Amino acid sequence: MHLDATSTSSLFVSGGLGALFAACHSHEYSPAEIFRLTILPLILRRLLTAIPTLLGIIILSFLLMRFAPGGPFDGERPLAPETRAALEAAYGLNKGLGTQIWLYLSRLAQGDFGPSLIYRDFTVTELIAQSLPISLLIGGLALLLASVLGISAGLFAAARAGMWQDQALMLTATLLTALPTFVTGPLLALIFGLWLGWLPVSGQGGGGAWLLLPVIALALPVAGAVAKLARAGLAEILGQDHIRAARARGVAPLTILRRHALRPALVPVASYLGPAAAGLLTGAVVIETVFGLPGLGRYFVQGALNRDYPLVLGVVTLYAALIILFNLIADLIYGWLDPRMRDV
Amino acid sequence: MTPLYQASHLCIDIGGKRIADNISFAIAPGEIVALAGASGAGKSMSAMTPFGLTHAIASGSAMLAGQQLIGMAEKDLRSIRAAQLGFIFQQPLTALTPHRTVAAHLTEAACQAGGARPSHKDMAAMLANVGLSRPEERLAQYPHRLSGGERQRVLIAAALAHGPSLLIADEPVSALDAALRRDVMAMLTGLCRDRGMAMLLVSHDLAGIEQYADRLLLLQDGRLIESGAAAVIVQKPRSDYGKALMAATPRLDEALPPLLAPGAILLEARNISVHFPKAGWRGGWRGENLQAVDNVSLTLAKGETLALVGGSGSGKSTLGRAIAGLGPMQAGTVIWQGKPLPPRARRTAEHRRLIQPVFQDPLASLDPRWSVAQTIAEPLRWLLPAAERGTMGGALVTKLLEEVDLPAEFATRKPAALSGGQAQRVAIARALAADPQMLLLDEATSALDPLVAGGVTALLGRLQKERGLSVLFITHDLALARRVAHRIAVMENGHIVETAPRDTIFSAPQAEATRRLIAASH
Repeated sequence: MHLDATSTSSLFVSGGLGALFAACHSHEYSPAEIFRLTILPLILRRLLTAIPTLLGIIILSFLLMRFAPGGPFDGERPLAPETRAALEAAYGLNKGLGTQIWLYLSRLAQGDFGPSLIYRDFTVTELIAQSLPISLLIGGLALLLASVLGISAGLFAAARAGMWQDQALMLTATLLTALPTFVTGPLLALIFGLWLGWLPVSGQGGGGAWLLLPVIALALPVAGAVAKLARAGLAEILGQDHIRAARARGVAPLTILRRHALRPALVPVASYLGPAAAGLLTGAVVIETVFGLPGLGRYFVQGALNRDYPLVLGVVTLYAALIILFNLIADLIYGWLDPRMRDV
Repeated sequence: MTPLYQASHLCIDIGGKRIADNISFAIAPGEIVALAGASGAGKSMSAMTPFGLTHAIASGSAMLAGQQLIGMAEKDLRSIRAAQLGFIFQQPLTALTPHRTVAAHLTEAACQAGGARPSHKDMAAMLANVGLSRPEERLAQYPHRLSGGERQRVLIAAALAHGPSLLIADEPVSALDAALRRDVMAMLTGLCRDRGMAMLLVSHDLAGIEQYADRLLLLQDGRLIESGAAAVIVQKPRSDYGKALMAATPRLDEALPPLLAPGAILLEARNISVHFPKAGWRGGWRGENLQAVDNVSLTLAKGETLALVGGSGSGKSTLGRAIAGLGPMQAGTVIWQGKPLPPRARRTAEHRRLIQPVFQDPLASLDPRWSVAQTIAEPLRWLLPAAERGTMGGALVTKLLEEVDLPAEFATRKPAALSGGQAQRVAIARALAADPQMLLLDEATSALDPLVAGGVTALLGRLQKERGLSVLFITHDLALARRVAHRIAVMENGHIVETAPRDTIFSAPQAEATRRLIAASH
């Protein structure tokens, strides 16, 4: 399909997401009916399978942690045997493994993640409550930025398939996906923080400026991947029969793109973004370390290194629950993008 | 009458290659003109390119209602398409946008020429007009819920929604089965007559053209070979090409070609049943099954061809696959020369050698990365002892290529360098490599155009004579079955409703399904 310059650039400006929402109209069924017939059964089925999945993940991580060498009370100087015994008794580590798992699970069922063994003044719930909002904020903004940037760039490239704009964008996208965040993060900090002095490079200052660099560094590789998926998706859809049929009806190129091509083209993007979102939102260790932010990712790594069993289990449980949740959301989005998937 | 559409000295080029040369024709309002010819003759390109729907470049003149289309800007061409033209494409399954409901398609179509948004009632009337049952219900449905025939009717309703003066129909029914073809064509021609709408019909179905078109243009390699009244050309073509094309097209009223008398019973299928679990988690949950083949028996003699005919979904392919051991079979036995063949999982290479299949889509059934020689030699690897293979392999490939009338140079080609007919000949050579006693031909010629299909059918007849092959010939084309088969078995809903020799089944059809099929084939 050939698109003229004005239509592609206005598409680019309007942004993939804007057009995406404009394309939404399911006026034939009432929203309540759609929910009852397709969404509710899917959610119920997922919840049913989510519980055993979560249980399995918790038990497996619990056992893996315990079989790893070392323990939470091993330090430079060995503790006196009676101190160690007293500590283990206090945290219930002297009971049988089965009992411990049972106790952990029954506390978890009441919403209690247990005490942290390393940060002894805090419970795991408190640690997560402190750090999760930062991770959610950075991850959420990065997710949004990556989607808008990636989808717009991908659609623009597909509309200019084979031309220099397409090639330049796809080369950039490949570079972005290939560069790890521990390269782009410090590089951005170096350029915009140290050399140009425009943005803070560490910590949380006043206002929102401190967010910019970590969010951009986190979003870039995801944006690259999304751009490639969106471009491939749209290029494939534009060659399909239903697009030719719409052209035969005399539909304008931009309308064809928005009304007939966009939703099916975004299916691969949705399938990638589901699991990627869970990863972004639960804390990026590298970014949090590079920019000195007290997010969840750092606690997770600290906890794992120090054998802080409840902290690691808490984060793993949260992460697994989020993955399950985002896969469910991705499936709901599939169903919206392509009604054929609602029938499975 | 002044013509509505007039193409004069129309030429079509793709990448510097001329694919249609100096074609002139005119269509008056209310007239139906057919473009026919073998595939690659340039019919679709000649029909679509002047309207800006292909990548090709048109030159010459194409006037629609006094406006020159050649050289017109895409923007203006688009508004002409929207206002005056309706298009129907070959593939009903993919021509509707999957995430848009039938109502959304009809609304877009009705508004394309600037018309008012149609009400629910208007749209239901449009669907009723093209013979779709329960139109109210269809409006809220998505395309994937509809069958191929239903989707084609929705596409036709959409093509007509804005009241076009010219309908361009590119093989509008070739993806549908025989009974549906007749219904849809009758409906289209009826609509043309009623509305005074003109139609440019692209088709290779000569029997259909004779019946429905006023005039026929016969194209060969991009040139207009013959044109005139459709019935006259189909009955008495003047050009050699026309004669060859008509001769290759099986007709129910042609003289029965002779066949060799069959020998003793080779294969007997007893009480075959095949079922599949119903799709979707609900069906699977309740353990519901779809009965594809229900307690069917048949026999096949040495050197005999038995045609299995029926509409799509009647179970003919499933039955063929079950007998050949290529698909599942829940009940029944296959007896080969008096001895039962073991179930599919326990058939040895020797058992499998006996029955070899040839499928409908020749290119899809060849590995694109294998050369023709590798493809043909593959069965030898499993079915012949290593010693014989080493010494005979190359010579055997050459001999098999010769047997299917392909030159020996083809051995090094890849499937991408083969035409559809050549690829099907390679697939036949591969089947013969195993030295089978029976062939399972599943719509083996229906993806090919009439001339090529005629050649492949003749080849299969010759091979049957030379090798004494038995053939289970699955087809939806009754006239073709009549031409090649000793006996014809009619399937419907998983049952064989009638089996009879080819000369009696047409003169005295017993089952209702047979009568319907015969009526649909005329």
